Amino acid sequence: MLLFALADDELILGHRHSEWTGWAPHIEEDLAFSSIAQDEMAHARLLYGLAKGLTGKDEDELALGRSSQEYRNAWICERPNRDWGYTLARQYLYDTADAVRLDALSSSSWRELADLTEVIRLEEKYHLDHARAWLERLGEGPVTARQRLADGLASALGEALAVFEPIPGEDRLVSDGVLPRSSEELLGEWLATVGSDLEAASLDFVLAEHAPRTGEMVPTSTGEIEEQEPFASPGVVRRDGRWVHEGAFVGAGGRGGRHSDDFLPLWDEMTRLYREHRGATW
Amino acid sequence: MVTAAGKPGVALGDDVARAVWDALATVHDPEIPPCAITDLGIVERVDVGDGHVDVELLPTFAGCPALDVIREDAEAAVRDVVPGLEVRVRFVYSTPWTSDRITEDGRKALQGYGITPPPRRVVGERVFVPLASLGRVERGVECPFCGSLDTVLESAFGPTLCRSTHFCRSCRNPFEGFKPKSN
Repeated sequence: MLLFALADDELILGHRHSEWTGWAPHIEEDLAFSSIAQDEMAHARLLYGLAKGLTGKDEDELALGRSSQEYRNAWICERPNRDWGYTLARQYLYDTADAVRLDALSSSSWRELADLTEVIRLEEKYHLDHARAWLERLGEGPVTARQRLADGLASALGEALAVFEPIPGEDRLVSDGVLPRSSEELLGEWLATVGSDLEAASLDFVLAEHAPRTGEMVPTSTGEIEEQEPFASPGVVRRDGRWVHEGAFVGAGGRGGRHSDDFLPLWDEMTRLYREHRGATW
Repeated sequence: MVTAAGKPGVALGDDVARAVWDALATVHDPEIPPCAITDLGIVERVDVGDGHVDVELLPTFAGCPALDVIREDAEAAVRDVVPGLEVRVRFVYSTPWTSDRITEDGRKALQGYGITPPPRRVVGERVFVPLASLGRVERGVECPFCGSLDTVLESAFGPTLCRSTHFCRSCRNPFEGFKPKSN
């Protein structure tokens, strides 16, 4: 499940990135997103290769031959690209989250996974540089650019948190040292990174506006004021100088194979050739 | 010990290994034709065993589409010099390839092909990774044509995964650089 979570995130987001090929605002970004997509798909392939030993299925079969409910990617990876602001906001949020995860996995007790992680990390450096350069550039304005980035961050943030939705069977992975730190710890590390990046760009209001909402005071029909049942609206709050996540996850379920409505069309397109021409080579 | 005639003390296996290395030195990266794969530093291990030769290669970038071509070329080249032995060439991921593995000859080959070699790693210093940020030149990469450092990075993502694109303000030529990759 851990391998599928990692590999499916890379494959599905790689697929979304590849949709920019030929459509990005300028040729350098066309190349950037095409290259990043190529890297992500290669990383997925390495991880599926490792899963081959456990599942008996090869990389192609794992990447393209599974039913839509068998994918374990986080929802943030399957969302359409929307506009340039959302695309860059998501790339920043996902790649910083991925970096935190890879950092932990580089000391995994599963030697082969730790080795692959080292290979992947060196390539991901370029993705992080790309994401940070754009965060800085759009963050500095002009106003429209900054607004679009902030809007993108605001709409991607909730689902980005769910990259750290616990993986089924995680307790055992943590106690065996395969996953050296729990998803909850990783989420804390990631929020620290994102918090300081966004503060530096004066964009931390995005985090502040993502506060959980609970227990509103509402008047009843008799005019009395009473506290409404707290409803679980998850979010982040600043406590003791740190950003912490509270409540359930927005867009949770990806790690268990439940997906948003955006997933099926993506899956259908991505796997169609494989399904219609099984075993084809060229 | 079985020794090769005329070379006392050298095991036959060592001779085979040397022939395999020489054969691998004739295999070139299809995307950087002047550069041999041995100079790129991607040959990790040659193991001559009983009836077989195993070669382990490290991919420069995991998503490089030239990997299959390189593996097939390497297999064919090695097979030619060790007839009768089973030849297995595969990519391994036990060690990450870094751009520090490019040899001096490899750097010259890149330079001659119009690609600036990656910056040399100084022990204890972090490798410079170019940032594609407009208006902020941190340090120019040397132009392979005129040697000027008055250059700007155009994109960290070039025509292949391992190359970035630059522009030289001195001789006004666009050029490519081999991306540094290091811990």
